Amino acid sequence: MFVVCVLFTLTILTILGLVIGYLIWIGAGSLSIKFFTELPSGKVADPGGMKHALIGTAVLIGLASLVGIPLGLLAGIYLSEYSREWWLASPVRFISDVLAGVPSIVVGILGYELLVVPLGRYNGWAGAMALAFIMVPIVARTTEEMLRLVPHSYREASLALGATKARTILRVVLPAATGSVVTGIMLAIARVAGETAPLLFTALGSRFLTTNPNLPFPSLTVQIFTYATGPYPEQKRLAWAGILVLICLIFVLNLAIRLTARSVRVAK
Amino acid sequence: MPATAPAQIELPPPAPPQSRRRREWSSIMQDRGLRLSSDTVLSWLTRGSSLAILGMLVTLLVVLTIAAVPSMKAYGLSFLTSSEWRPNELEQPRRGPDGKVVMEDGELVIETLPPQFGALPVIYGTAVSSALALLFAVPLSLGAALFLVRIAPRIKVSAPVSFLIEFLAAIPSIAYGIWGLFVLVPFLQGVEMSLHQSLAHVPGLHWMFYSTLQVGTSTVERPIAMTGRDMLCGGLILGIMVLPIITAVSRDVLSAVPRAQIEGTQALGATWWQSSWEMLRYSRSGLFGAIMLGLARASGETMAVTMVIGNNNQIVLSPFAPAQTMSSLLANEFAEASSELHRSALVQVALILLLMSLAFNVAARWLVVGKEARTAAAH
Repeated sequence: MFVVCVLFTLTILTILGLVIGYLIWIGAGSLSIKFFTELPSGKVADPGGMKHALIGTAVLIGLASLVGIPLGLLAGIYLSEYSREWWLASPVRFISDVLAGVPSIVVGILGYELLVVPLGRYNGWAGAMALAFIMVPIVARTTEEMLRLVPHSYREASLALGATKARTILRVVLPAATGSVVTGIMLAIARVAGETAPLLFTALGSRFLTTNPNLPFPSLTVQIFTYATGPYPEQKRLAWAGILVLICLIFVLNLAIRLTARSVRVAK
Repeated sequence: MPATAPAQIELPPPAPPQSRRRREWSSIMQDRGLRLSSDTVLSWLTRGSSLAILGMLVTLLVVLTIAAVPSMKAYGLSFLTSSEWRPNELEQPRRGPDGKVVMEDGELVIETLPPQFGALPVIYGTAVSSALALLFAVPLSLGAALFLVRIAPRIKVSAPVSFLIEFLAAIPSIAYGIWGLFVLVPFLQGVEMSLHQSLAHVPGLHWMFYSTLQVGTSTVERPIAMTGRDMLCGGLILGIMVLPIITAVSRDVLSAVPRAQIEGTQALGATWWQSSWEMLRYSRSGLFGAIMLGLARASGETMAVTMVIGNNNQIVLSPFAPAQTMSSLLANEFAEASSELHRSALVQVALILLLMSLAFNVAARWLVVGKEARTAAAH
């Protein structure tokens, strides 16, 4: 049985190796500088690059963060600092956890019904808001966890010196937990950067470079999906390159998260 | 000693209030007669954000229900039990009760059947693919969790192995989809074709390799084309995707088992497996919660499944036949829905998916968090 457990762990690690190995091997073979600098050319034999998708994803994540991060931060502050004042705090915590597990395609349908139908066409705002919907519970829960780790003595000292509760939170507790809170935000961004399903029928995806969110908006993940499920082998190679770029981005974010978390713990 | 008068401490004169200096928010507000302090502002802002989270869930449920109402009114409960998913109208000759075509004035009578939507195939697809995923993932995850809790700390590999397994969780689902589509599908296609050649004649396994179709009024049996894109592939990919979450939560649950429990079993002479089994039994509700979390993730997963499951909206018993899950149906058909009724039926499928995922998540959290709370209270 002992051997079985070791074997099972080795199986999982082998699966991980197979997945990552193939993704890096085939992706590296298809990646070139053209990927980052060219727009889709419309030609089948030479599809160009995915510059529009990279910029599109950056814009979508930026817009989503504008809404999602403040909302999540404030909710996290409420859950950790004010939770004793109101009976609604623990249901909100529970619902926040549950919302984090909602299938992302359902969030996409919500975005469609609320933001695409009234405006009459697929647009980037709907995609960004769908991504923000996914971000808010993650940011709220990680902020709450990180703020709870700040020792109570900080708050007590600040209150003893005569600061108001708001000033304590904003000037003492939050700065003490900045590294960890930023870690939580980066976690949410890493999660949202890899999401495809909410963008499928909100922003729809586009072959053109655009920064106008009122139009169908390109994104890396949807573009990869479109190319991978299409019939042209050159486009499929581009999809592999896109996956490699996406994984590198997420890996870099995860590495940054781990390094920040470690430096925060060392600093304390 | 001569008494000296205490030295006069010269205090500087109080600084005159300078109008250019930044004044306190609260004093500005007081001057204007408002009782609004920064405390109240932050308190209401944060309270509003928490209410916004509640509002998000309520909005999700309400909007989906309202959008699904036309379909609910048109199909009622048969939506859940019917296997026919036909977004277009069907013109066919009308058949009498004896099965023969009805002729009127020497011509066929054509009747137009309205679109018919039934979600049973996709409910079946989601259930079976999730079950396959758990069948694959649960033994591997529990084994890895036991390894991480009992064996790894002694050889100092628990941190690297945990990190690697959690890295599996960070990979986006579309990466799994592409890997599945271009690596796993051809591999499974080769495996399945050789299985077909060797096992198709075994009488007990006939259902795995042949499917029966309704063609007109007769039933025809056809061999299933082994493309590699089928329920089995979908289940395997989903299993790989839920491995890290079940492993991580099981590891946390198993490491919460008190040492006294394990040492007690060892004192009574238990072998390594017997004391591990006792650990598993002790934390069975937490482990069940971990499995439910994996189930919640597996049933909601979209992109990886859409690319490998073959997208065939019919119930076929064989795991080598293409299938469709609720999420892959939505991903495939929503952007091209042909009518309001079609879209409403798809939103109803989304509502069923949402309620199912909410139920799994609530049950899982109640099991995992409840167990931890009860353990903490007991010690």
